[in-house]
Amino acid sequence: MLGGLFFVPMLGLLGIMIALYRRNPQRFLDGPTEDAPLRLMRWGVGLLSPQRVEWGQAMLCELGHLEGRIQRMRFALGCVGALLVLRPWGRAAVGVWTMIVLAAGAVGLYGGMAAHYRLGGGDWIAAAILTVFVIGVLLGASALARRPGVAIPGLLGGMFITVTFLTLSGFTFLDQILPDTVPWHRLVQVIVVPFVVGAAGTLWGRDPVVGKRIARLAAITGSLSLFVYTSIAVAAIGGGGPFDQDGGGTLRGTISDRLGNNLVLLAFTTLVFATIGWAGAAAAGRLLRRTPTPTVPGPISPNLEAQQEV
Amino acid sequence: MQRNRPPSPQTINVLRTLAADPARWRYGYDLATEVRLKSGSLYPILVRLADRGLLETSWEPGRDSRPPRHLYRLSPTGREFVAALTAARVDRTTLNPHNRWSEA
Repeated sequence: MLGGLFFVPMLGLLGIMIALYRRNPQRFLDGPTEDAPLRLMRWGVGLLSPQRVEWGQAMLCELGHLEGRIQRMRFALGCVGALLVLRPWGRAAVGVWTMIVLAAGAVGLYGGMAAHYRLGGGDWIAAAILTVFVIGVLLGASALARRPGVAIPGLLGGMFITVTFLTLSGFTFLDQILPDTVPWHRLVQVIVVPFVVGAAGTLWGRDPVVGKRIARLAAITGSLSLFVYTSIAVAAIGGGGPFDQDGGGTLRGTISDRLGNNLVLLAFTTLVFATIGWAGAAAAGRLLRRTPTPTVPGPISPNLEAQQEV
Repeated sequence: MQRNRPPSPQTINVLRTLAADPARWRYGYDLATEVRLKSGSLYPILVRLADRGLLETSWEPGRDSRPPRHLYRLSPTGREFVAALTAARVDRTTLNPHNRWSEA
């Protein structure tokens, strides 16, 4: 019960942040704030592959001829559903679907284990916070994935982060429950790899802004993948292995403690991977700016040549 | 590889509605209202029909600050397809009159 009260200030803080965000008139930079159907439709059209863009434009233009908020919203919701499944998928759609699968896996595993082991109220509050957190990162990831040249490098970067993390910490489920890594492993997992991903993103996109987006998407993908993997580990091992001292030596306490550790790892890795990756992208951007770009001499006009001869 | 599955009842409904007046261009929303399909169901059907060359599409220029509008009608291939579909249905009904009851 007292553990559950710990989350109340966090939820209050989240509510204040949402309220401030909603009051900010600058929160939508690409259109009127009240036209939600149009914004929703634009979001969906942004996910389309180049072969299907015309169909997205057709739906978007059709929306411009509809009157009535409910009618427009129903039309937009239907169209977005169609846009999400319209093949061939665009890179952004691949990114969004990957994130949806990871997010659903994360929330499903946590909630499933909380129900299976009949964990207490504090764990259900943690599950609610996880859901809010995952929806938030999902929205952020979908916004990032829509940007040109971000979706696939971001997903690959996230996979690289995950594979490196697991290679150093160990692939077995017990390694996830009881990580036994040397300090330099942590350094590589948390600092070096995200930094490299961010820098590589900048160099690949030839733009630090693109690199920062790739770094953020990679951070979200990597941390969610790790969370899903560690949650699978807890589901597979259950109360097996040594009891955690923090959990009080009981099965429920142990499961609760392990799930809690995963949750902290998720929040920690998302934040740190994104920050370090962002720094890597910015550093590579500095290097790019210092590198002199070769200038191509322009054509010399005949008059200028004549003047030079004189 | 393109699959040639038989058209769904919703697709047949759209094809028949378009075939009722094949020369007329139609708007997406009006067509959705006519065939009583949600936009999320209609547009994938239209995309598939256009991919198979059964549907012609065109753009109507925008007027009075309104955006342009996408138009749809059956292509000559689409008209032949609907005619063949209707003929096959008539044949099936003639061979098996009990189907009439299932259609009711």
